[in-house]
Amino acid sequence: MIQQDLKSLEEKSIYVIREANIKFKKVAALWSMGKDSTAMLALARKAFLGKVPFPVIHIDNGIDFPETYQFREELAKKWKLDLIVAKSNIKPEMSGFACCGANKTIELKKIMKQYGFDALIVSIRRDEHGIRAKERYMSPRDKNFKWNFKDQPAELWDDYSSKLDAKGHVRIHPLLDWNEIDIWNFVKKDKIPVNPLYFARDGYRYRSLGCTHCTVALPSNVKDINGIIKELATTTTEERSGRQQDKEKEYVMEKLRSLGYM
Amino acid sequence: MIVKNITLLGHKDHGKSTTIGNLLILTKTVTQDRINEAKRISRELGRQFEPGYILDSFSEERENEMTIDTTRAELVHKDLAFAFIDVPGHEELIKNMISGASYAEIALLMVSAKKEEGIREQTKRHIFIARMLGIDKLIVAVNKMDLIGYDHKKFHEMCTELAKFIERVGFKRSNVFFVPISAYNGDNLVKRSKMMKWYKGKPVLDLLYVHAKGEDTRLGRSALRVVAQGFIDPERKIIVGKVVSGKISVGSNINILPIGATSKVSAISVKGKRVRTARINDDVAIHISTPISKDVRGTVIVDSSEKPLLTDKINSLIFVTAPIRRNLKIKVNGSEVACKKFDVIKHIDTTTGEPMAESKIEPLDAIRSRITLSKKVPIENFESLRELGRFVLYSEGKFAGIGIVE
Repeated sequence: MIQQDLKSLEEKSIYVIREANIKFKKVAALWSMGKDSTAMLALARKAFLGKVPFPVIHIDNGIDFPETYQFREELAKKWKLDLIVAKSNIKPEMSGFACCGANKTIELKKIMKQYGFDALIVSIRRDEHGIRAKERYMSPRDKNFKWNFKDQPAELWDDYSSKLDAKGHVRIHPLLDWNEIDIWNFVKKDKIPVNPLYFARDGYRYRSLGCTHCTVALPSNVKDINGIIKELATTTTEERSGRQQDKEKEYVMEKLRSLGYM
Repeated sequence: MIVKNITLLGHKDHGKSTTIGNLLILTKTVTQDRINEAKRISRELGRQFEPGYILDSFSEERENEMTIDTTRAELVHKDLAFAFIDVPGHEELIKNMISGASYAEIALLMVSAKKEEGIREQTKRHIFIARMLGIDKLIVAVNKMDLIGYDHKKFHEMCTELAKFIERVGFKRSNVFFVPISAYNGDNLVKRSKMMKWYKGKPVLDLLYVHAKGEDTRLGRSALRVVAQGFIDPERKIIVGKVVSGKISVGSNINILPIGATSKVSAISVKGKRVRTARINDDVAIHISTPISKDVRGTVIVDSSEKPLLTDKINSLIFVTAPIRRNLKIKVNGSEVACKKFDVIKHIDTTTGEPMAESKIEPLDAIRSRITLSKKVPIENFESLRELGRFVLYSEGKFAGIGIVE
């Protein structure tokens, strides 16, 4: 996996986060307590000189790991985050596509409407999935959260032309250029707190964190950040190989994203 | 590791996605998961294995065998990383092509040698756009050599024809390489092909390396220019933005254009940390001694000892992507300025580089125009400072083209 120059990655992300917060009226960020959205908050703190200036949303389906909830409480307090917890009710008969679609997306729609957010920062990266590689830094969603990927706005020269659709919102993707390993190099350099589930216990660790139903731990004995970086530098498996939703069907991610999934 | 951005260029079906896909496979960059996925999809669609499916991720892209939107794939070669930007070759997707290509420093053009394909309008148009975007390093890969029996005469004919056009639009001959390849078979992608012993040059990957190690001509000059994004504090004393040229230090006296406000720099933060001096590309937060009541978004911060050009009249070269109607605006550095007058001086055919007699402006044409803006703004020639010499054109609120100041 390619390790990029952190300085230019940080510069681009800080530019995009500032641009979003200045350009739009009411910005919020999704925070899953995973490494990516936590790294994004660290960048927002740099961009706004120590404080995250927008609320952070956790879509809580009640089945995240206990470690994740604890991490949420500790960091929200330490970084003085304006945390919005959106509780969604999981239905036991659902899984994968139906579950992510129904629970996360529907709950997100409610929260966005309730607070009137017009921009949502989502910490996706191009290297996670082929579909995510097609995204823009700023990307409009219509009032039904649909992503019109066949007609995306032009985006060049630090000009983000995305305009708001009536009652829609704009997705902001400040981490698009980062690779998985870059996030870990950044976590290491800036000593950013991370969820302990990323480190191995009993021969397994989580490489990508979702909820308890769909996330599977992968065999690993890595117990620290240096170990993770070393492991990723030579890995041949995909980051989201422990995520069930991506595997069910070829175009599940495309469908989920076009319906408003993050 | 330093990453060099490379855009693919060329007509649809001339092998852009296939080339990147096969480069990833041959350099063992792509994971077996992804190759297997692409193989499975090829089978499901009842087709031969297509390396391009590694990149074309939308179901429509695979089913219709075309790239819809831009994507990026990386590989390591020696001490550098290359990020390949795949772009769609279709005419109607030109705004996606421009979005992708605008991030590149080097271009890799695909042109098919297959009998019924050859040099097409879109082949030349992409070269024209690349030059407008400020790309000055080019590799022309003549693809599908396997389908013409690796005929070196045909290769040389195509090179001669393209070289003329490439020079006409402003590339330096010494910054352009030509290489015969078969993207599908992998000939001359990573290693010299045994099928074309008559070709004495380097394979694509090594040519990219030569370009990547060459001088980056896109760096700014020494005079201070900070493009301001806006205030981040209610007191209006902290301006954030990006240093695009020169450096700024604590204690400097600054002038904010075009609003004409002046102030003194009391502190500077870069990446959230206090520093004495900020330099090119830094994400800067400038703390000023006195608040400014006017909006600073889209303004340019300069050294107060200097008097840069403020103008409401610009000569420009514009590539048109959508019909130009009324309510024209240009957008420079996040600030929108209305066009009071928009005079077309010359109409240029982007597939020949020659002037056209036609007076009606159509999408995919280029024009030289003289624009009178509704107010004076800090603008420079594209050649002297790119960040302040380029703009996006909007017609009735829609993206209608890209322009550079001449």
